[in-house]
Amino acid sequence: MKRRGRGIACMWYPIGFTASANPSAAVVKVNEDGTATLLTGTVETGQGSLTVLAQIAAQALGIATDDVHVVSADTDTTPMDTGAIASRTTYVTGNAVMLAAENAKKILFEVAAPLLGVEPAHLEAKDHKIQVKGFPQRNMHIGDVAEHARGVKGTPPIGSATFNPAVLKLDPETGQGKPFATYVYATQIAEVDVDDETGEVEVLRIVASHDCGAPINPMLVEGQVEGGISMGVGFALQEEMLFDSSGRLINPNLTNYIMPTSLDMPSVEVDIVDSYDETGPFGAKGVGEPTCVSTAAAILNAIHNAVGVRVTSLPATAEKVFAAIQAKRAQEAKLVTAG
Amino acid sequence: MAKVTITVNGEARTVSVPPETTLLKLLREHLNLTGAKLGCDVGDCGACTVIVNGKSVNSCLMLASQVDGFDVLTIEGLATTDQLHPLQTAFEEKGSLQCGFCGPGVIMSAKALLDEEPDPSVERIRDALAGNLCRCTGYSKMIEAVQAVANSVNSHPSVKSA
Ligand code: FES
Ligand code: FES
Repeated sequence: MKRRGRGIACMWYPIGFTASANPSAAVVKVNEDGTATLLTGTVETGQGSLTVLAQIAAQALGIATDDVHVVSADTDTTPMDTGAIASRTTYVTGNAVMLAAENAKKILFEVAAPLLGVEPAHLEAKDHKIQVKGFPQRNMHIGDVAEHARGVKGTPPIGSATFNPAVLKLDPETGQGKPFATYVYATQIAEVDVDDETGEVEVLRIVASHDCGAPINPMLVEGQVEGGISMGVGFALQEEMLFDSSGRLINPNLTNYIMPTSLDMPSVEVDIVDSYDETGPFGAKGVGEPTCVSTAAAILNAIHNAVGVRVTSLPATAEKVFAAIQAKRAQEAKLVTAG
Repeated sequence: MAKVTITVNGEARTVSVPPETTLLKLLREHLNLTGAKLGCDVGDCGACTVIVNGKSVNSCLMLASQVDGFDVLTIEGLATTDQLHPLQTAFEEKGSLQCGFCGPGVIMSAKALLDEEPDPSVERIRDALAGNLCRCTGYSKMIEAVQAVANSVNSHPSVKSA
């Protein structure tokens, strides 16, 4: 018979390692038509990082995301990047992009200030304009300021910056210290049905609550969480690389290495925790890898809640779950006879 | 060599290919239609999905000569120069794809489903996409996109998923 269970798992995950150098750099150039060009070494692999970086530059310059032309991952033209790894892009590369955009903006403010009759500190970049704070009608189009900066002042608005979370060596004696710049947190809850006659587990629903700092792009955060959960479901119940006695991989194909399909995926509800990290670009931290950390633990706890067995090797295949149920029954029968 | 005549995305094409050529290879290497992807070449991943005579098929599992005289629709046949197919628009708006490798196959499977069944349940959508593996997305946003297209087709019967 099918038995329902729920399990919960929490995690923290580090963002922006500090044990060694971890730099990202960026160049932001504001163009005379009011658009901007961003050079970054990071690689887009579908997670949406270039969209997020364009959003960060756009926010800093007061222009639209579509107005930011991103040139990426070509070391002929872009800075070398530490990598699209370790859930660091939004935080580390994002900070570099924000600082580079701020530097370009500083040039625009210096050029616009005398033209608008105020100090640079009284200006803001908003709605494609450089304008006086509190007096938005006193403004210049950002493209006109860029043109004036280049053509009249001889200071083209180009900003570059590097962000490198401060390197902090760990205490060699105790191994203690602050190995990462910041941390993210999450809780996932899984609901499963376990068939106690076959050991088969069906994941019905996962509710995932993730802190990623302020989400720059909530839709992309959701996409990361949903994708991470599908990997977690595979990790929990299906995916396993099998080796023969000579160490040869015997399932190097998708026929025998089983990963979740659309039929294996539970319904997923994503909750993004309201949070803000002062050290991140516009309050953001990161979201990539952390998304699949809690899933398997939550599912295995749900199996325990459903049928009272702990499966301690992954994946928790039907065979393993059924063997654990049988062992538990044998144990209980022994206790009854002994009693 | 085998002589194969097919209609691809509405255009009649005749090609001579070695007899062991799969439909996928015919499309990618002889007709330069590289939208359908080569993932596994043995029918496991669905990245090569195209529509043959109205049915979604893994083009790596069909020989080119088996489709002689047939009508083949690939991802390249969906959009026009100025307009995406409603499924493509929905996938874009909902962020349904990440790396995108599975995308052409997923969209063709979804199209075959909606052509046959304009108002599918979530279970039917999951079923129709079950042969398309995706490593990135967890499928949720794809399912939402297919539902969105189904709903819009049903609320405006004039908008057919062409
Ligand atoms: S390439 Fe055809 S199913 Fe994988
Ligand atoms: S989007 Fe990457 S495999 Fe589906």
